[in-house]
Amino acid sequence: MNKTGYIAARLLQIVPTFILIGLVVFVLTRLLPGDPVSAMLGDRATDEAVNRLRAQMGFDRSIWTQFLLFLERAVTGDFGSSIAYRVPVTRLIAERLPVTLTLTGLATIFALLMAVPLALVAALNANRWPDYVIRVVFQVGLSSPIFYVGLVLLTVLAAWLRIFPVGGFGETMLDHLWHLFLPAITLALSFAAVIMRNLRASLMEVLEAEFVEFARAKGLPRQIVLMRHVLRNALITTVTLVGLHIGALLGGAVITESVFAVPGVGRLMVDSIFARDYPVIQALTLVLAVIVSVVFLVTDLIQMTLDPRVTR
Amino acid sequence: MSARLTEPVLRVDNLGVRFDTPRGAVNAVSGVSLTVGAGEVLGLVGESGSGKSVTLRALMRLLRRNATASGRVIWRGEDLLAAPERRLREVRGREIAMIFQEPMTALNPVLTIAQQIDESLVAHRNLDERARRARAVELLDLVGIPSASVRLDNYPHEFSGGMRQRAMIAIALAAEPSLLLADEPTTALDVTIQDQILKLLLGLVADLGMAMILVTHDLGVVAETCDRVCVMYAGRVVESGPVSAVFASPRHAYTHALLRSMPSGEAARQPLTPIQGQPPRLDRPIVGCAFAPRCAFVMDACRAATPPLMLVGEGREAACLAADRLAALETVA
Amino acid sequence: MSAALPEDAAGEISGRKRTRRLRLTRVPAPLLAGVVVVSFFLLCAIAPEAIAPYDPIAFDYTALLSPPSLAHPFGTDQFGRDILSRTIAASTIDLQIAIFATIAPLVIGTLVGLFIGYYGGWADILFGRLVDLVVTFPFLVIVIAIVAVLGPGLFNMYVAVSVIGWVFYARLTRGEVMVLQQYDYVAAAKVLGYSQARILFRHILPNAARPVLVYWMTDMALAILLGSSLGYLGLGAQPPTAEWGVLIADGKNFFSQAWWITVFPGFAIVLCGIGFSLLGDGLADLLDVKR
Repeated sequence: MNKTGYIAARLLQIVPTFILIGLVVFVLTRLLPGDPVSAMLGDRATDEAVNRLRAQMGFDRSIWTQFLLFLERAVTGDFGSSIAYRVPVTRLIAERLPVTLTLTGLATIFALLMAVPLALVAALNANRWPDYVIRVVFQVGLSSPIFYVGLVLLTVLAAWLRIFPVGGFGETMLDHLWHLFLPAITLALSFAAVIMRNLRASLMEVLEAEFVEFARAKGLPRQIVLMRHVLRNALITTVTLVGLHIGALLGGAVITESVFAVPGVGRLMVDSIFARDYPVIQALTLVLAVIVSVVFLVTDLIQMTLDPRVTR
Repeated sequence: MSARLTEPVLRVDNLGVRFDTPRGAVNAVSGVSLTVGAGEVLGLVGESGSGKSVTLRALMRLLRRNATASGRVIWRGEDLLAAPERRLREVRGREIAMIFQEPMTALNPVLTIAQQIDESLVAHRNLDERARRARAVELLDLVGIPSASVRLDNYPHEFSGGMRQRAMIAIALAAEPSLLLADEPTTALDVTIQDQILKLLLGLVADLGMAMILVTHDLGVVAETCDRVCVMYAGRVVESGPVSAVFASPRHAYTHALLRSMPSGEAARQPLTPIQGQPPRLDRPIVGCAFAPRCAFVMDACRAATPPLMLVGEGREAACLAADRLAALETVA
Repeated sequence: MSAALPEDAAGEISGRKRTRRLRLTRVPAPLLAGVVVVSFFLLCAIAPEAIAPYDPIAFDYTALLSPPSLAHPFGTDQFGRDILSRTIAASTIDLQIAIFATIAPLVIGTLVGLFIGYYGGWADILFGRLVDLVVTFPFLVIVIAIVAVLGPGLFNMYVAVSVIGWVFYARLTRGEVMVLQQYDYVAAAKVLGYSQARILFRHILPNAARPVLVYWMTDMALAILLGSSLGYLGLGAQPPTAEWGVLIADGKNFFSQAWWITVFPGFAIVLCGIGFSLLGDGLADLLDVKR
């Protein structure tokens, strides 16, 4: 298969994925115990209000019509109104999604900045003390819950040492980034541990590869052997891992945002559960799954440019 | 083919390689001495685990981190085992190059052939980009890859096995080395392709005035291509000499057994006799001749001390106490 | 040209035998460490009252928010409750989470994977689509969404995790079964006319179970992380149930004055997670499972 064909096939694949994501989210809302509408409005809602919402959401029609209606609305970005905030869900998400995406983006950058050099050090010193130290530290990072790490960093660095802001989100763009710094570090730690574990293993595999021996036999400078031959090949699997990890990262963002009171979609999701704001939960589940599948697609495409063998 | 009388370009003195493993030390190579003259093709032959590939890698100090090399590797009067890493990088690729058994794994899968030639030229030759490109095309032509300028931008997986091996040879030859180390260069290839690659290598050796050390476990390849041969067993050279002489009348019981264990055109009427037993483990000290437990000519003295390499003819050495009996055997037959 | 030396096949076989014998006599260090740590927590979980120095819910107004001391090694909270005792008591719920959140996925997933891997066909194709779909939902997000529908609480959390979690066990088992089926002994069992049940459960399952077992250990570590996270967010165990995440959430408002209320239960989570990870690593080593 040639490159264009592969890209086209991969792009087309995402359409049924979107529809299935819609189906899951749709089924999920139908699983609400009792009448979803009264569940949304609570026990003390008036009959009039129930009937109005019922008609508004199309609950008086057949289940298939309802699903198609749901899909149609999802495509046009109409998820109804938030019960708690009394504004369109789409607007609510549009305001907060950039915050979450910035947070996860920053976390990814921090994680790579931590993991890549340390993985190199660990792999080059495999089974000697620098390797052991790095692996133990990351094993601890891997076993530490995000909310705990966040609380500790928040208290020590923000409340006690006053290096970082305790909460809030600031006014300017730069201010926002400053407020996101500590949450991003928190989110990055366990991600870095995952990357480092994977990259260390793949580096050790590549270091054993004959083409690395060949590169050394050619008399190439050490940094060229390390960067062009070892790291570049080892990073191919890491790119896939980073892509596949987006789901865990978004899940982590939910917790991080709750700990640091970051006004992103993660905190919105948790707040919405306590507010029984089902339209928001439904829309967020859908939007986050769509983001994940798009990231998977992009990962595949990046993979293709990194590894010429993929389209074979 | 016989530039043997000149001073050797490479002289290996008492080379030893020890691997430190969690389960103890392994002496993969011990007491190996050999020479290679300018333009000479030396065969290094032995079973897997006999230390031939380790020896080859030790010459350029391309060993794993847990390995320690001892002895001397004198390249044009300079001891490479004592040379600083910086100097070694100048020697590697420019003066001594190496090719491997499996080009699929020895070539970097994510770089084009052009890039893999280019980085060698950048490291060793002072050429501008256009000159390097021209040199790369020239190299692919040299190793017989058709439509060189197009194939140059292909990735390794886009080549067939034989072509890939040619590409690897082209990359290794980029900086015109004077010695080529070839580690089982044909083992991974189809029989018909094997022949082509060997002919190519021999042609290149002759045309470019290179010397070559060819590591193989295939006696047929040695017979066809080499001037001299070193037979290795359990990390030691047990016999060396001109190929024709060694093959016609071996002076080490192992070489003898080896030749009898394989079908060959010359000794076609003899029944094949496989060698009984297994090579010894190298993680324990070996007392006496390592081949003694499997040897048909063994005597008590063999088990007492390792037999030294002794002169057994013109330019021939063997480390076998039964050398005389083997010589007598040949005259009777 | 074909006159090749005999390759050292015999040596290789003897080498393999050697490592197998070694493996039986040598218990991997990570496994040992994992067993020790997890056993300790199991002990705390089974008999907290025997180990804890104080009643975890007894108020002590003479020792409010007292820092770690000999009397209270982990300090006390705003009601004077002993943090060490509360942390020990909470291990009952957290180990329960480790088991209850993974046992249904383990059993159901392994069985489904076994059948799908063995019979293949349309079920396999359908399963492939299902896996593709499931991985597009961030695990925590879909679990939270399901908990949102069912309502917060431990039981609903188990349901939510199980609804999704079995897919990963099934995927792993399916892959193993596909590989095992190519082995001679399975083919031989088929030729011998063994019943399918016997082939599946006597010949394939025991071998496919090894990587599943290793994954289970890692999954229990993840379940504790997830369970305590949901507990912290208020979606899992509900106060006054003592659960590590809930304890941390309880103490977070006092963090600046009384860091010990949050820090020590956190240690328990980290240590317990490491214990299960070590157990997984050690088992992988022992059972020769590649990860």
